[in-house]
Amino acid sequence: MAFVNLQNVTYKYPLTKTPVLQNVNLQVNEGEFVSIVGPNGAGKSTLCYALAGFVPHFFKGEISGSIEVAGKESSKSTLDEWVLNVGLAFQNPFNQISGAKYTVFEEIAFGLENIGVPREEMKSRVEDAMALTGIRDLADRSPYSLSGGQQQRVALTSILVMRPKLLVLDEPTSQMDPIGTREVFGTIRKMAEEGMTVVLVEHKVEWIAEFADRVIALKDGSVMLEGKPNEVLTSDLLAENGFGISRYTSTAREAKKQGLWKKENLPVTLDEAVEGFALTLPSPQGRGESGK
Amino acid sequence: MHERLSFHIKRDSILHNLNPLTKLVLTLTILLIAFTFPWYWTPHLLVLVAIIPLSLLGKVFREFSLTAIRLILPAAGFLFLMQAFFQPIGTNVIFKFYFLDITQESLMFAFRNAMRVFVMVSAFTLFLVTTHPSELMSDLTRRGLPGQFAYVIISTLQILPQIIAKSQTIIAAQRSRGLDTESSFFKRAGSLIPLIGPLVFGSLAEVEERAIAIEARGFTSKHAKTSLHEIPDPSFDQMLRWVLAALIIISIALKLWLS
Repeated sequence: MAFVNLQNVTYKYPLTKTPVLQNVNLQVNEGEFVSIVGPNGAGKSTLCYALAGFVPHFFKGEISGSIEVAGKESSKSTLDEWVLNVGLAFQNPFNQISGAKYTVFEEIAFGLENIGVPREEMKSRVEDAMALTGIRDLADRSPYSLSGGQQQRVALTSILVMRPKLLVLDEPTSQMDPIGTREVFGTIRKMAEEGMTVVLVEHKVEWIAEFADRVIALKDGSVMLEGKPNEVLTSDLLAENGFGISRYTSTAREAKKQGLWKKENLPVTLDEAVEGFALTLPSPQGRGESGK
Repeated sequence: MHERLSFHIKRDSILHNLNPLTKLVLTLTILLIAFTFPWYWTPHLLVLVAIIPLSLLGKVFREFSLTAIRLILPAAGFLFLMQAFFQPIGTNVIFKFYFLDITQESLMFAFRNAMRVFVMVSAFTLFLVTTHPSELMSDLTRRGLPGQFAYVIISTLQILPQIIAKSQTIIAAQRSRGLDTESSFFKRAGSLIPLIGPLVFGSLAEVEERAIAIEARGFTSKHAKTSLHEIPDPSFDQMLRWVLAALIIISIALKLWLS
């Protein structure tokens, strides 16, 4: 039995006419790092809310099918119990700051206070979580004085500190620079290796290819394609349906038509592209490896 | 941009280290005595024996006196003038200005009332300056104040400055597209109407997201909440509160007995 199990989930918000999720079937194993891609309006955020219990407990609306996480059924649970197992961080960091706390340290402790963690344990858990995401130096700053990227790290840390079994992230690095993004993806990867199950919505496909175990392509509220990152992200279906495609994939696809790409799989990341093109493109004399 | 709305000044003083509830009770006691004690010079004496010593005890005398001179005194002075002129009591006219007269009685009445207001505002200022809002709220929550209530108070203090900053961003954005912010008052007032939509609806949408965010962090959890900071409540504080409570009862009893 999969750790996360969605069976025929169809969901409609209270004021919309068409369902946002249509017959979604989705299984995620414990400790797996799954990434969800899809064009705007595909239902990615709604799927996140469904996993985190906010659909339907918070948004109401009509839902059918079943959502199971860690052997519990969402419809038979309440939101305040559900969030103990499932953590959610989303895109806009500003709105994820509680507003009730004056320092980053207190902000991260907010969730632990709510669920009644004893003081000493709370302090060490906050310290550990801040070390994990590299924001120790921000501990005494006001959460509102931080940059967008720093606030996103605080939002992520505030969820990680609660040690959810399933971590649901909706574009958690949208305001970060490449270095910050790499660090955060590294952290998420590490969490998955330690047994946390991760579902991540993300547009940065190169990062997904490098870090995720599996990719699910969502289109018009249904799963269109799923599989290994490299297979899904280089599929022709994605290119035809308005998904975000890595520039290395598009380049190699064109190159393939000219016979300049010999490998079976198209590349997603720079490294894969360099490796593939090295087979066909002659290395210019005297410049040696400079292209790499 | 203001980071937060708070008067708190961080110092290490006896007053700062009192339990927040003790300080709140102290403030209310000073206020009640100033308003109910029958002796005429009570509020005046309170400034000397309570307000000024407390500001020294809290190591905030300089900041407090600046605030008192710049804000509290002018307000009390204005109240004094209004009451001195318009209080229709007494016959002993000492000053006449067209149809307005100041009598000795109205002067005395106004002097005391202005002093009472001065004491009240000063006591609250000292309370706010020496008490961190989140400490006050966690202490009150621990004593049974609903968490939602405390959250509304604290988050308002922090989020209001953010909303002000956002309105400035919206105005700047609209100005760069030709919004008139410099001509006559009515024209400017009219041109501000289109700004209300984005600000109000934007803020409402944010409220939904913020609700999700704090819910995801167990805000409505049925567990008993704990608190990161330990707020000490030594027996000295508890004793002090009993003494203050006795003072409150005495001043109320005296008021009832004499009236």
